This record gives sequence, C-alpha cells and structure tokens, in this order.
Amino acid sequence: MNRAEQALFNDKKMGFFIYLGVEAIMFAVLFATYLIFTPASNGPQPSEIFEAKTVILSSFFLLSSSGTLWLGERALKSEKQNIFLTGLGITMLFAIIFLGFEVYEFASFVREGHGMGVNVFMSSYYVLVGLHAAHVAFGIGWMAVLFVQYFRQIPLTLFTEKLSIFSYYWHFVDVVWVFIIGIVYLPYLL
Amino acid sequence: MKFTLFGVNIMLPSDVLAAWVFTLLLGAVVVFLVLKKKRLGLIWEYMVTTNHRKIGILYILFGIIYFFRAGLDALFIRTQLAFPNNDFWVFQGEKYNEVFTTHGTMMIFFVAMPLLLGLMNTVVPLQIGARDLAFPFLNAVGFWLFFFGSIFFNISFFLNMTPEIGWTGYAPLSTEQFTPGAGSDFYIFGLQISGLGTIFTALNLIVTIVRHRAPGMKMTRMPLFAWTSLITSFLILIAFTVLAIALYLLMFDRLFGAGFFSGTEGNPIYWQHLFWIFGHPEVYILALPAFGIFSDVISTFSRKRVFGYPIMVLSVALIGFLGFMVWAHHMFTVGLGPMANTFFAITTMLIAVPTGIKVFNWLFTMRLGVIRFTTPMLFSLGFIPSFVMGGVTGVMLSVSAADFQFHDTHFVVAHFHYVIIASTILGIFAGLYYWYPKITGYVLDEKLGRWHFWTFLIGFHLTFFPMHITGLEGMPRRVYTYDDSGGLAELNFMSTIGAFLMGVSMLFAIWNVYKTYKEGRKVGNDPWDGRTLEWSVASPAPEHTFDPMPVVEGIDSFWFAKSAGKKMPVTDQVRATPLEVQSILPFLIGSTLFFLSLGLTFSWYWLSILSAFILFTLLVVRSLKDEREDHYGRRK
Repeated sequence: MNRAEQALFNDKKMGFFIYLGVEAIMFAVLFATYLIFTPASNGPQPSEIFEAKTVILSSFFLLSSSGTLWLGERALKSEKQNIFLTGLGITMLFAIIFLGFEVYEFASFVREGHGMGVNVFMSSYYVLVGLHAAHVAFGIGWMAVLFVQYFRQIPLTLFTEKLSIFSYYWHFVDVVWVFIIGIVYLPYLL
Repeated sequence: MKFTLFGVNIMLPSDVLAAWVFTLLLGAVVVFLVLKKKRLGLIWEYMVTTNHRKIGILYILFGIIYFFRAGLDALFIRTQLAFPNNDFWVFQGEKYNEVFTTHGTMMIFFVAMPLLLGLMNTVVPLQIGARDLAFPFLNAVGFWLFFFGSIFFNISFFLNMTPEIGWTGYAPLSTEQFTPGAGSDFYIFGLQISGLGTIFTALNLIVTIVRHRAPGMKMTRMPLFAWTSLITSFLILIAFTVLAIALYLLMFDRLFGAGFFSGTEGNPIYWQHLFWIFGHPEVYILALPAFGIFSDVISTFSRKRVFGYPIMVLSVALIGFLGFMVWAHHMFTVGLGPMANTFFAITTMLIAVPTGIKVFNWLFTMRLGVIRFTTPMLFSLGFIPSFVMGGVTGVMLSVSAADFQFHDTHFVVAHFHYVIIASTILGIFAGLYYWYPKITGYVLDEKLGRWHFWTFLIGFHLTFFPMHITGLEGMPRRVYTYDDSGGLAELNFMSTIGAFLMGVSMLFAIWNVYKTYKEGRKVGNDPWDGRTLEWSVASPAPEHTFDPMPVVEGIDSFWFAKSAGKKMPVTDQVRATPLEVQSILPFLIGSTLFFLSLGLTFSWYWLSILSAFILFTLLVVRSLKDEREDHYGRRK
C-alpha cells in the first residue's frame, strides 16, 4: 500500500470500528432486554428447551470459522492464493453450517409451539439470537461478494483492504456469539 | 368527505382533503416552474451528488420545508386552544392527538436534526480544512435515508393514518392493542430509517474531524462548532442506536406478536427507559451544535477570541457525558423510588454547572469586544437570556418532589420550548444567516433579518411565557380543551397571538431569501470579517477546496494572518482526499428501505421481500462499482 491508499484505508478502518461500536451498543441493549425478561413467569423456560448438543455443535463451527478466516488472510499476505481461497471457502462453509443449526433450532422451537409471542423470554431470545443469525447470513453474502471481487482481479491492495474490513466484522460476530453462549445459553444448560 | 375508489369506501376528513388539495396545487406549481426554467438537470445533479455542501443544502432545504409543515401544526394547536371550550375545525380528540404527535416528532427529527446536520455537513469540513467528509458516498446514503424516513412519516397524514401516540410513543398506547391502525407503524419506520441515516452521518463526521484536519489544525485549535459537532456525533452514535433497538422491539410487539411493552409480562416502563436513554441525550444533540454556532458567531462579531476556549470544550464534553445520566428525570412520577429520583435529580442539577460556565464565557467573550449587531449576532444575543430562563425552569423541574406538580402540565411545555427554541432554533437561524454566504454566495438582507429576529423573539416569549403560569395553574399538556375557570383564557389567548407572530416572522425569513436571490449581489470570500478557515475559501464554497492547503498555526489562524496583512502559509503535503463520486445508488438504497417499511406496515410481505432483495442487489452493485478501484494501484 502506498501512502494515499494507507490513509484511505485507515479512514475506512476507523469508520468501520465506530460502526462496530454502534453494533455493540445494539447487542448490549438486546442482552439487557434478555436479562430483564428471562426467565419468564409462565410458558416455556430456557432450561427446558435449550439443547446443549445444538449449541456446542453450532459454536464449534462458528468459532473455528474465525480461525480459518485468519489463516486465509495470512495466506493472502504471503501470496499463497490457493490456501487463501481454501481458508475463505471453509469459513463460508462453516458459516452456512452454523446458520443451518440456527434455522434448525428456531424451527424446532416453533414446531414445539414456542413461537415469538408465547412469552417474553421467547420474544427476547428470538430478537437477540435472530439478529445475530441475520449478521451471519449477511456475512455469508459478503464472503460471496469477496469471491467475486477476487476473481474480478481488482487491485490487490483494495482486495486486502476489503478482506480486512470483512474479517473485523466476522470476528465481531463471533465475539457476540461468545456473549450469547455465556448469557443466553450457559446459565440454563449447567 | 366520503367516496368510493376501486370498490373501497374511503373517508377523508376535511383537513386531510385540504392537505391533498394544497399539496397537489403546490406540486403542480413546482413542476411547472421546474419545467419552465428547465431545471430538471439541476434536480438530477443534486440526486446523484456526494458533495458535502450540496448534501448540506438538501438537508437544510427539507428541514425548512418541514419547519413550515410542523409550524402549521403548532398554529392548529394554538388555534384550538385560543379560547376555552373551543371547537376549531376538526382538531378535537384524536385529531388533536395526531396534530401534537406530528408537531413534536417532526420538529425534533425532521426539522432540528436535518438543519443541524445540514450546517455541520456544509461548514465543518470548511472549518477544519477538509476537502469533503471522509466518506462522501455514505454521506449521501445518510441524507437519502433521512429523506425517505421523513417522507414515510409524512405520507401517513395523506392516508389519514397519522400516528397519535405523542412524539415519545409511550407504550402500551403505542402497542397494537391500543393503536391498531397503521399510524404507529409509520412512526416506527419513519424514525427507524431516518435514525439509521443520522447514525451514518455521525460516524462520517467523527472520522472527518479526527482524520481530515488541515496540517497544523490540532484538535485544540479547532473552531468550537467543529468541537461541538464532534461531541454531538458521539452522543448520536449512542442515543440513536438505543432508539433503533427500542423501535426494533416495538416493531416486534406490533407486527410479530412479541410482548415486551405490554401484556401480563411485558413492561411499559422499559419503553420509557429506552426512549429516554435516547431522548435526553437527544436534547443535547440538538443543543450542543447550537452552542458551537453561538460561540463562533459571538467571537466573530465581538472581534475577540472566544473566552476560555479549553473550558468551553470541556463543558460541552461534560454536558454530553452527564446527558446520559439524567434520563429518568422524565420519569419522576413513574415511581422508581426515592433513591433513583434523588440520584437523577442531582445529576440533572449538575448539568446546570457546565451550562452556566458556557453562558458566562459567552458574556466574557463579548466584554470589551468590538460588537457588531448583525442578524446572526442578534440571534445569539436573543439566545442567552431566553435559554437561561429555560435552564432555570429546568432546575425547578429537576426537584423531583416538585415535579409531581409540574409533570405533564404546560409548565413542562414552556420549559422545553424555552430550551429547544432558544438554543436549537435560534442557533440554526444564527448559523443560517452567518453561513448563508458560504452556502449560496449571497448575504441575507440585514433589515429584513432584524424584522425576522424581533418578531420571532417577541412571538416566542409571548407564546411560551404564559404557559409557565397556565401550567402552574394545573393546565395539562396534550389535552385539547380547558374550561373558563382559573383565568386560563387570557393567558392562552396571549400564547395564540404569540404563535401567530412567530408564524409571521417566518414570512419575513422567506421574503428575505427571495429578495436576496432577486437582487443577486454576490459577496466575496469573507463578508463578515471572519476568524476561521471557512472564510478563506470562495463563496459559495467550490467543490474542490483548499488548493493549496493552508497550514494552521493556532486558534483563529486565518484571522491573525489577515490582521497581520499576510497570507496563511501553504503546503502541498496533503493527505489523500476523500473520493467524491456521482451516483444514484444512495437515492435508490433509501427508496428500497421506504418500500420495505411500507410492505411491513401493511403486511404486503411480497413488497418487503422484493425491496430487501433489491436492497441487497444494490449493495452488491455498490461493492462492484467501488470508486476506489480507479485510485488504487493495479494488481501485479
């Protein structure tokens, strides 16, 4: 990167970090909502409906996808194109698997009659975990666009820049998931 | 009026009908003028622009338009309240609820916010020596989100589905059970879309101010308007995000059967907490930029450096910080308990300290200064005593025990109009008169400006001063009538006269703009003998500014160079300029959110899904057409 590119990248980086701060506040308010309304006084209780198996499996895929992304990013820096493509590909695959687990979990809750309006616990659960899942889905689309950009042969510095911004996003989404494990699931699975 | 259209019976009240007729006529006139003067190209130019000054103009233009629309609401309110047991037109009962809801919501979100953001957009880059905002494209997105959010809110009136839940949207009234109509949804999505735009613009301003200052323009040398914009932007990031989530939760309550704010388990008080965690900082979001404007204006027209610069910055930061710890003073009567009420009473009283410091510093800036009584200066001078009066009633209201008497009376109405009109609205007027040459190249007429100022100031005090007394007499706010007892009639009539006087004063402002445009006397770079960097560029500010880039050597560097008869030193060591583009994408992105919300409001889910699909497609297109591609080195 030359100086002009570095300056523009740093602008973007700072802007994006501020944006992630905004996201953090959003999730903080939703966590507060969850803590206030859970457990609810009637209807389904978190300890009855959460399944450790789904949480552990989905967490495994999402959290390791941060690692594969990191490996891919490093490979791009040392110009190992194939390893990079594999890294980003596995990240995307893991994200899709995670999203599959989420959809499965939501679907099975709804099938058992634990929909959005059953009680305030379910409502606050869906708006929080659902927003996170929406972030994962958005990330999957973002990765698809990154692949397109890669094969379009845009300037390499610009591509690394775009990849860095995405990786900040992706690691952030993972951190939120860690909080979801700790606040939403863990207290009711132990 | 009732009629049948496509087999649907439609009932239109006469006020909505009047709005249709008026809007269609006005629209026809505008279309005719645009076609006659062949200005379609100009409109297109503004639709695709990402230049900070042009976007600033758009913000200001729509802010002014909505100011008239929301001002008209105020006149309806005052006419209805002019006499005891009055029945003016349709504005009783629900219609009255609608009219105060739109008045409040629009004045806060679609008048004060865009006017301030417009001034920040136009002026802040020029003040700090930046060539544009850091992300010009995002800036345009921010504007079009505001635009479509405001349009979304406004169309509700034409469909006779106006929200009637107050600008605070208190639950459980705002939940589906009590307002099943689409009105509250228009409120939710209108604010959600425009709030998102505001967050993006705040982010943009922070990066601009932190990273795009001219060489030598240290943070400690920035003009105070730039400082207050920076601190305000941080407040926006936190406050508007909380509002976004509050609206998100309310949306799930209304549309998808969640029960956060009502029912046996939900908690309406939680809405109040979330709303005021947003709502109180919002008051400072409106006031702080105005403080910055006053500081710059008073300093310029006193020919003195602003008194106590570091303390001025510090007190703004302190007000911003304390602003997040006072929200529950809106909820003293909720019953949070004596501990909570005491805590919030004390933090509220504390805010008077930094605010008081600022007032004294403005006075000391003028002391021994060479004062010129220009229109912007008059507005600043009008601000000080008026705002202090609002501040004093604010301290009165912070006494939580006494607040049980004041709560929801016209005393509160008097208080918040005193603070918001005195700071934000007078500040905006001062700023518009002051920077008008930088925006358009003309100076507004001083004589009409004085007429505008005096009629507005007198009208303002005449309207709101009597409300202190009617409020203490126990007259509740948000009630459409009152009876003759207790001497309320005369005071209310005075308020009504004052309101119309303010309406008249705005006609002077419009006449002034028209007259200035007709006479068309262009002015030079520096019509006010200014102190800060924006007066070193041409009026109106061109698209490419600061070439060559000046080097700043201290506070008011431009002024000192000018008084020494020298030019500011320049440099060609300039950081990379933000990349401006011409793109219709921001406009389209805003419009998809409009249709997405429309689909959700009326359960036309196909429309929402289609709009969401188009939205994501547009984001992909944006990514593929990234203007940076042309500026970065090609791949080896």
